Amino acid sequence: MLRTDEIQINIGPQHPSTHGVFRMLANLDGEVVTKVESKVGYLHRGMEKLAESRTYPQFIPYTDRLDYLAAIAANIGYVQTVEKLMGVEIPERAEYLRVIFFELQRIASHLIAAGTNSSDLGGMTPFLYAMADRERILDMFEMTIGGRLTVNLPRIGGIIEPPEEFWPALKKFVDDLPGMIDEFNGIITGNEIFQARTKGVGVLSKELAEGLSITGPVLRASGVKWDVRKNAPYGIYDRFDFEVPTGENGDCFDRFVVRLREMEESGKIIRQAMRDIPEGPTFAKVAKVVKPPVGEIFHRVEGVRGEIAYYVVSDGSTKPYRLRLRGGSFINIQMLHHVVPGWKFADLIAILASLDIVLPECDR
Amino acid sequence: MFGKGLIKGLGITGKHLFNRKVTEFYPEQKPVLPPRTRSSMYLDVPKCTACGICANTCPNNVITITSGKDENNKRVLTGYTMDTGRCLFCGLCTEACPSKALHTTTEFENAVYVKDELLWDMMKKYKADASKQEEGKDNG
Ligand code: SF4
Ligand code: SF4
Repeated sequence: MLRTDEIQINIGPQHPSTHGVFRMLANLDGEVVTKVESKVGYLHRGMEKLAESRTYPQFIPYTDRLDYLAAIAANIGYVQTVEKLMGVEIPERAEYLRVIFFELQRIASHLIAAGTNSSDLGGMTPFLYAMADRERILDMFEMTIGGRLTVNLPRIGGIIEPPEEFWPALKKFVDDLPGMIDEFNGIITGNEIFQARTKGVGVLSKELAEGLSITGPVLRASGVKWDVRKNAPYGIYDRFDFEVPTGENGDCFDRFVVRLREMEESGKIIRQAMRDIPEGPTFAKVAKVVKPPVGEIFHRVEGVRGEIAYYVVSDGSTKPYRLRLRGGSFINIQMLHHVVPGWKFADLIAILASLDIVLPECDR
Repeated sequence: MFGKGLIKGLGITGKHLFNRKVTEFYPEQKPVLPPRTRSSMYLDVPKCTACGICANTCPNNVITITSGKDENNKRVLTGYTMDTGRCLFCGLCTEACPSKALHTTTEFENAVYVKDELLWDMMKKYKADASKQEEGKDNG
């Protein structure tokens, strides 16, 4: 076979397929990628440092800006961390509302993931359908708190009560959800071209996934049944009955399918929460000036792209002494170096699309 | 059979083609936003006691308040500006306001051509709004 010189090409940081400002340096031998280096940090805003100069409640809107597709996941993770540090118990109704919004956010984000995954592989139509479906979730956020992406929804000690018109909209959405997922299965999952591009491509083995501390749907697609909601429940997740979907092969196709099945499970959780939600207040009594006791705390939640964890050190003042946060994207990106070499250039895009990274969370 | 999935997908697209259209023809058609939408700020000047709580709550130092004393030695507001270029529209300030003077509005066409226009003088805004309402009353 004719051998060609390797060339190094630059992809990103401004490129629609890199899902934000992600840059890769790929060495190509013909069409085959021999090495890929990921360059992150274009969106670094110094979130952890910013937290040190903000009071505890003031940092909540900043957590919105970690993952713009799943702001509520980071919001809730943060307020739960501070509540745990302060020993605050929030009312039952607030717990249920948090679960409902968390799962709605998961569905919204997975819709985008499914849509962009397909559009990266050349199918633009499903992306627009996903956007239209997600719009209904964003409308629900908007009527509740007034924000759509950067929602700033929970507060330390509770959550705002949604308006009357929220409940019928939620019910209608949950009823329509199986239909939406069927539509996706019909238009993407069953599509032979999509299958040819994703089945068996970018296989991430179980051992490698565990070794790299990969979390979230990417880990589960490799066959590891690990979900913080089940394995180390936070909030009231131990009260719900749901499955943790896993894949078998750990390829791009499995990663896609696991997300679709997670949406179904989220729908199930929301339905149970709607059935069981008690009446009552949604705010606990918390002093206006939040001053947690001296100490440190670690808390994690099952975010949309992997585990979101916060580690807060308090010196007893109104501002965190140190805040460390972990998002799924940064760690999930590490798999590229191991998995991509040997695949064609077009497969690199397929693999990256199936990872569903979001860069602000990665760069922080 | 190869191609079955493709045909099914095309069928779904075809169905959507004849469904209700969801696109809004902005700017001819303006969306009606829910009342809680946080897309703009409005200060009800007479209600404001110049207490400064909103400015202290803000994570980004958006709000600058100046106050003076009136003849009864009561604190009055003399200036209220918001540097909206830095504003997150998070709503923490409006939630904190004890006299409900500051609130969010659903006005969303906030784009400006020059950066200086991002500095909102809330007292001016209130006055302009009040005089507009006066005019409306005179005409109607
Ligand atoms: S909305 Fe948030 S960022 Fe804007 S002025 Fe109010 S508190 Fe500050
Ligand atoms: S908190 Fe309310 S009353 Fe106090 S200065 Fe701000 S707007 Fe005025």
